[in-house]
Amino acid sequence: MAMVRLQRAGKRYGDVVALHEVDLSVEEGEFVTLLGPSGSGKTTMLNLIAGMIAPTVGQVFIAGKDATNTPPNKRGLGMVFQNYALMPHMTIFENVAFPLRVRKTPEEEIKKKVAHVLNLVHLPQVANRKPRELSGGQQQRVALARCIVYNPSIILMDEPLGALDKKLREQMQLELKRIHTDLKITMLYVTHDQEEALTMSDRIVLLNDGRIEQMGPPDEMYFKPRSVFAADFLGSSNIWDGTIESDGSATIKSGDKMKVKPEAFAKPGTKLKVMVRPENINVIRQGDDESRFENRVNGKAIDTLILGGVIKHYVQLANDTVIIAQELTRSGRRSLTPGQDVRLAWRPDDSLPLPAVGKIEG
Amino acid sequence: MGGGEKPVGASVNPWSIFSTVMAWLILLFLMLPSFIVVPMSFGGKFEMMFPPTTFDTILYERFFSTGNWIATTITSFKVAIGATALALLLGVPASYGIVRGTYPGKKIVTLFLLSPILVPVIVLALGMYLYLASFKATGTDLGLIIAHGVLTTPFVIVTCMAGLRHIDANLETAATIMGASVMQSFFKVTLPLLKPAMFAGGLFAFLMSFDEVVVAFFITEASTMTLPVKMYSSIKWEISPILAAISSLLTLLSLVICLVGAAAQKKT
Repeated sequence: MAMVRLQRAGKRYGDVVALHEVDLSVEEGEFVTLLGPSGSGKTTMLNLIAGMIAPTVGQVFIAGKDATNTPPNKRGLGMVFQNYALMPHMTIFENVAFPLRVRKTPEEEIKKKVAHVLNLVHLPQVANRKPRELSGGQQQRVALARCIVYNPSIILMDEPLGALDKKLREQMQLELKRIHTDLKITMLYVTHDQEEALTMSDRIVLLNDGRIEQMGPPDEMYFKPRSVFAADFLGSSNIWDGTIESDGSATIKSGDKMKVKPEAFAKPGTKLKVMVRPENINVIRQGDDESRFENRVNGKAIDTLILGGVIKHYVQLANDTVIIAQELTRSGRRSLTPGQDVRLAWRPDDSLPLPAVGKIEG
Repeated sequence: MGGGEKPVGASVNPWSIFSTVMAWLILLFLMLPSFIVVPMSFGGKFEMMFPPTTFDTILYERFFSTGNWIATTITSFKVAIGATALALLLGVPASYGIVRGTYPGKKIVTLFLLSPILVPVIVLALGMYLYLASFKATGTDLGLIIAHGVLTTPFVIVTCMAGLRHIDANLETAATIMGASVMQSFFKVTLPLLKPAMFAGGLFAFLMSFDEVVVAFFITEASTMTLPVKMYSSIKWEISPILAAISSLLTLLSLVICLVGAAAQKKT
């Protein structure tokens, strides 16, 4: 059953459209991420579901019932905020007990349930402390426990890890994922961090300018972007202007000709964009066998950046075209000297043709 | 600057010396009356003299043993407590509506609620007198409580508005989504967090009402006089040295209330 469903729901403020009419449904037990830059409408969508704002058009269904006119406190949802929103004047126990007290749960049961969920988030020892005595990561786990404890039909998360540092964020991603799998909770997660979206989601909904740009499982979103926006937003990519030749290959701005993955829209003569992920481009060194890669270009090295686990090579092609190749760092793998000649190669399957404007439909 | 350290390269600015000296002089000027009145209150019982020639607590004994003065003091406390309660009852919900509400005309409502600060006290006093007279409420404690309530509510509103702006609105949103009604979220989340601001605003309202002369002078009668009004009336007939003792007590009361307020702020 769909725990949350938006049916042609949209929101406008006067002449400003915050969210065009969208359809979305989140199935029971699913982890769906709303991904997009700020102003893309993801927070509006979350607030429509939470009931903090009313849609201008369309309907909101929660657990199968029309909840468009249900006030937020009657929707039976949970929400985790970026700044945790724990009540500073209550102990951790009282914080987690709050939704149960509101529901007039018997005291015995409250004690049992609170202890249980604090165990679940690995924080049984902090029950008598105040929120300010906990670290950011611990506070966010308490906030999550406070949702789990009353078993809402869906937990909404508004950039919950945004205030944490990188290491802690990665830990918390795993933790969230574990709790999601263990308890089979339905989660709707909002973030602008594409890595987070790729790591955690069952399904990503990419938003752009108040519309759904593309949705699908992370691998599909990454490997089959249907627009330049999607390709650019998820992962890094080389994107060049190009034209399709009569034989189906593409010539890009630098004059280099390359084979591309066949797409119905990419008919000969079409002006479009060609996208290649930097990690699919190989630097050909002496003695390397390049026969596996049908697409090859020659250029001059601009610079090399070592980013810990990976190295990025920036290479200049003709006509001010730059190409980025990414390799795994290995000892002995040397940086390119600026100005040196470089040969790069990749497979046709890794060159995706994308429409110059709009997206591939279907 | 917490550490009290000078930034690198900072030179002593003659203007900063001048402004510091001025500030101290002004403070001294403001404090001077207290420095004179307090020693005077321990002087003899026949005249006000500075510096006092004897040390005596007779003026205080007289104040506490005169039924008239005590009754007036009790009236003052009653009125101040009533006005404070009224100001909190009106001011806290009003500030909530101003800070959290979104509705057209909010600025105008705010201005209206704060307007007693802007109107000259004498105008307010006259208006209150005429208004309460039409209900035959002049000369009653309740009448003065209402008048002082009007006078002090804006100050409670201002402190509570500041307090509310410091309370994360997400806390109320979180409470609502967890199932709390508007009332539950207000009483269980907002109000406990607003306590320090309410306490500060309430103390302020209490002190204002307790000290207030102009409005009280218009509205009270001989039988319902408050302390400041009685002091003023008695000074018209004779300069009784007991006033020095009462003034000192009032200073002490203000001091204690301010210290309590400061301690409460520190605790939160």
